[in-house]
Amino acid sequence: MSSAPYNYNYIFKYIIIGDMGVGKSCLLHQFTEKKFMANCPHTIGVEFGTRIIEVDDKKIKLQIWDTAGQERFRAVTRSYYRGAAGALMVYDITRRSTYNHLSSWLTDTRNLTNPNTVIFLIGNKSDLESTREVTYEEAKEFADENGLMFLEASAMSGQNVEEAFLETARKIYQNIQEGRLDLNASESGVQHRPSQPGRTSLTNEAPNTKDQCSC
Amino acid sequence: MEEMMETVVPQEDFDRNEQRYLRELELDGHASVEAKFGYAYCLVRCAHKQDIAKGIELLEDLAEHHPEGRRDYLYYLALGEARMKNYSVALNYCKGFLEIEDNPQVRSLQEYIQKRYDKDLKKGMAVAGGAVLVLGGILGLGMALAKNKNRRDK
Ligand SMILES: Nc1nc2c(ncn2[C@@H]2O[C@H](COP(=O)(O)OP(=O)(O)OP(=O)(O)O)[C@@H](O)[C@H]2O)c(=O)[nH]1
Ligand SMILES: [Mg+2]
Repeated sequence: MSSAPYNYNYIFKYIIIGDMGVGKSCLLHQFTEKKFMANCPHTIGVEFGTRIIEVDDKKIKLQIWDTAGQERFRAVTRSYYRGAAGALMVYDITRRSTYNHLSSWLTDTRNLTNPNTVIFLIGNKSDLESTREVTYEEAKEFADENGLMFLEASAMSGQNVEEAFLETARKIYQNIQEGRLDLNASESGVQHRPSQPGRTSLTNEAPNTKDQCSC
Repeated sequence: MEEMMETVVPQEDFDRNEQRYLRELELDGHASVEAKFGYAYCLVRCAHKQDIAKGIELLEDLAEHHPEGRRDYLYYLALGEARMKNYSVALNYCKGFLEIEDNPQVRSLQEYIQKRYDKDLKKGMAVAGGAVLVLGGILGLGMALAKNKNRRDK
């Protein structure tokens, strides 16, 4: 809306996926607000968050779509995968079932995103060591087999939360530098914003959406 | 919040969900809750008012017949009504929801709608229609929600 220059050079789109209750919303909240939400209700559909970070002296705006893990939202959250540059796939280290479902989340991600989408696996709730059901080694092996980046993190203590979001961005940035991402394709999940003053707005954000009308 | 409210549904998603809904209707005479919700969710994010209105109709029907998902339907009813610029109706849905369950996601939706509402009031173009009618409905939904409340936290 304003004619101010962009205060960032790139926009990266992320999605956060995984079973209900694994801590997706808490991770997002910890990343954007640096706070832990102890009693977080189930997400309705999707939530949205942003934060501007820096990689290689470039300002990058992360647009993060946090999806609901509840089964009945699967059909509606699918549409957010398309055009994601990064996917944070989360399980709960204290609940094995959330780990067992990863292959199905991974299949969805692979089917619905592009081959260059960076997938980062997060084993959340690492503060709950005493009730752990999934070992680090086991998950690390799964991640390696499937070419995923991996960390254990805690949305509660904040441990490794920054790292997961930032390392994903670094990897995406590296893909851009190496020419693996076509910045002009909307499904790349990356938009370049030359920081050139005076240019207005995000008018053609979504080229293939239902036609606009101001009725 | 702006992104949530203003992003128009991609044509591809709309088509897929509409086809699924219509196919189920044709085959079984009625559509499943998932198909209905998927379609309604796309409709309320359309650019055209006729589409949004159709989505709202489906959501009202779902809210009445599928209590389990009621909080979700209330949320999207608020979003749909807000996109129709029926701000007071939309705010009533938020309020109804928050009386039953405190929820940061709904609170930020409410704040956003309130801002839009205030802006439009200033411009003198607010549409108050429907607010009275809907109040009855909201109370009903609210009570049904209350009954379900304890089922959520296992
Ligand atoms: N101990 C501990 N608890 C956590 C952590 N992260 C989240 N929780 C708790 O786990 C519960 C679920 O967290 P959410 O962030 O709502 O989970 P979600 O994945 O967004 O769930 P859906 O929105 O239903 O898909 C909440 O009660 C949090 O307080 C963590 O790192 N450590
Ligand atoms: Mg959530």
